[in-house]
Amino acid sequence: MATAIEIMEEEKVAIETKLLTGSQALMECLIAENVDTIFGYPGGAIMPVYDALYDYMDRINHILVRHEQGASHAAEGYARSSGRVGVCMATSGPGATNLVTGIADAIIDCTPMVAITGQVASGLLGTDAFQETDVIGITTPICKWNYQVVDPDEIPEVMAKAFYIAAAGKPGPVLIDITKDAQIKSMTKPFEYKKITKLAGYHPRRVPKLEQVEKAAELINNAKKPYILVGHGVLISEAMEEFREFVEKADIPVASTLLGLSAMPIDHPNYMGWLGMHGMYAPNVMTDQCDVLIAIGMRFDDRVTGDANLFVKQAKIVHIEIDPAEVEKIKKTEAPVVGDAKEVLKMLLPLIEKKDHSAWKKEFRDLEAAEKEAVTDRDLAKVGKIKMAEVVKMVSDKTKGEACIVVDVGQHQMVTARYYDFKNPHSYIASGGLGTMGFAIPAAFGAKMGAPDREVVAFIGDGCFQMTIQELGTIAQSGKAVKMIILNNNFLGMVRQWQELFFERRYSFVELQNPDFITIAKGFGIPGHKCEDRNDLNASIDALLESETAYLLEVVVEKEENVFPMVPAGRSVSEIRLK
Amino acid sequence: MDFMNTYTICVFTENSIGLLNKITIIFTRRRINIDSLTVSETERKGISRFTIVIKHEKREEVEKLVRQIRKIVEVLAVFGYLNEDIVFDEIALFKISTPLGSRPLDVETINRVHKAWVVYWGLDYVVIQKTGSEKEIFDFFKYIKPHGIIEFVRSGRVAVAKTPMGLVEYLPEDMEWEYYL
Repeated sequence: MATAIEIMEEEKVAIETKLLTGSQALMECLIAENVDTIFGYPGGAIMPVYDALYDYMDRINHILVRHEQGASHAAEGYARSSGRVGVCMATSGPGATNLVTGIADAIIDCTPMVAITGQVASGLLGTDAFQETDVIGITTPICKWNYQVVDPDEIPEVMAKAFYIAAAGKPGPVLIDITKDAQIKSMTKPFEYKKITKLAGYHPRRVPKLEQVEKAAELINNAKKPYILVGHGVLISEAMEEFREFVEKADIPVASTLLGLSAMPIDHPNYMGWLGMHGMYAPNVMTDQCDVLIAIGMRFDDRVTGDANLFVKQAKIVHIEIDPAEVEKIKKTEAPVVGDAKEVLKMLLPLIEKKDHSAWKKEFRDLEAAEKEAVTDRDLAKVGKIKMAEVVKMVSDKTKGEACIVVDVGQHQMVTARYYDFKNPHSYIASGGLGTMGFAIPAAFGAKMGAPDREVVAFIGDGCFQMTIQELGTIAQSGKAVKMIILNNNFLGMVRQWQELFFERRYSFVELQNPDFITIAKGFGIPGHKCEDRNDLNASIDALLESETAYLLEVVVEKEENVFPMVPAGRSVSEIRLK
Repeated sequence: MDFMNTYTICVFTENSIGLLNKITIIFTRRRINIDSLTVSETERKGISRFTIVIKHEKREEVEKLVRQIRKIVEVLAVFGYLNEDIVFDEIALFKISTPLGSRPLDVETINRVHKAWVVYWGLDYVVIQKTGSEKEIFDFFKYIKPHGIIEFVRSGRVAVAKTPMGLVEYLPEDMEWEYYL
């Protein structure tokens, strides 16, 4: 007869060898990857996972969004503010297709994301079953990697690969599609999770080749007029400190790309501003004056180069970049250095000679007057209707440049980039590459979840706001203090600006009949108010910033304001317009 | 249009579902037409080899294409070659009409001149197999055409590089792959 102890031992063994279902295994994978937050929306083909999640609620904070696009953008915002992999989840069919915009946004802006989608049972694949969509087919061109799981035994290894691929090298989105039967069935072996640090087909070079670094150092040391363009890559690799040391030792003027904003505090003496289509005057035109251009973690996007054939024709290029496919994709490069920005800068620093480029830097400063007079002073003149610029400037001053700024897409995005005085890194979260309207509300929420201690302020256009307006419900339910400012000009402002400048003022479908945004916010349980008078602006922004809950401030701004400077699309940066 | 060069792109991959799609959409997105495509498993289990032939006027564009293919996670190695860098062949099958009373086939010329072989005799047709370059296959096509071609099929190109190296040298280090015997 078995003793009580023996029976207990047997039970213990039974528990230890209890085999997890695919859904439970997925939860254990998320725990193993230290995932604390996921943004998702349930539905038929993902229900077993949601059932498993019910038992993990104490360890994994699931945020119920109002539309799956919100889940993918929130995951992006989370990833961009925290530096960690953002996770989103949706059901098959429409749930999965609604994630697509956020996935496409994440690949082009190098945002680490793991998207989990449910799929119809494997026996139904290819039968046009209810809510069946070929999600792997749809997302293949916009994913760094995707994979369909049909066997629960695959889940630990596939998820380990997913998190490795999403974060390693140049980060990006990974989609894992799990059939319903793989979620329900039990594994045939005990769950075991091994983190992956290298794959046969994917092992990006972090530490650069010495000869590439030496070649770059030689070009930099011999340059008379070196010029640095810093991009998102420096932020992704957390190389801000190494970057600052490099810049100060070599005394080189720096401009950032749009997504490179906040890689360096804007009051640094070597920081000249940001460049691009609506970037600043000196940083743009000085690309024609430098003799060596040092591009770090940026990819010569057409919004930076204008006509790429005419961009920095006179200079030799040093390109520090982790993705070999980006090297010479757009510009011929004398000294490519493939590697992680942090590792490259560490190796480069001792090879760089200490220099003084005061005279060269002054050439940049000398150009600032023209822009100040033609653009900045006018934007901040405080005459007529409220201008977007003065709202941003006031928020900047009141938050001491320390807030995490999230923007949507359009004029307000450019104005915010121009007038917010960024002090800390990871402080400008924007949809840069894809230009996704509707990004800001969910991304701001995600950013707040990723950096709960930071003040997160979103600047949003009136058009953009209506694209993901339903996520106000998500914000209200979470209780997170996301601060939102609508810069309302009653127009799709950037399109209107182009129509004014390049389409003979033929305003084709750009004027909006807007709802009462404040009433809508209140309906969602979010307080707010509307500011139409410059005299109220100061108190309005105080109310927004002092609110302990989420808050919506609508500022009615000048209707037909244009953003300058502007490099007309496809033209040389030398054709930059100040008005 | 500028002069179009023929490039042969050899891609070594893990053998997984959907990989053909992952590779071909890279061509589609850049509007590059694929002339021929051959996929088979290599001498190592689980590793496939894609041989893709394209025509392109710009070498640097092909180099960019190769780097984009390399980004696919399951891709282990990619090489782009000009014709002079490789030994390559195609295979073609000709179904030729041979009804009663028709002019007999000159099997000696077919064998000795064209190095082609009759591989199947039907009641009133034969199947001839011809291996060689695109030009050799079309020379034979012209020769055999008067007999009446019922059906003609040409494979994609297969190619090996003119280097003493084998696939093994290209694969990532410290990975163990099982050889076929």
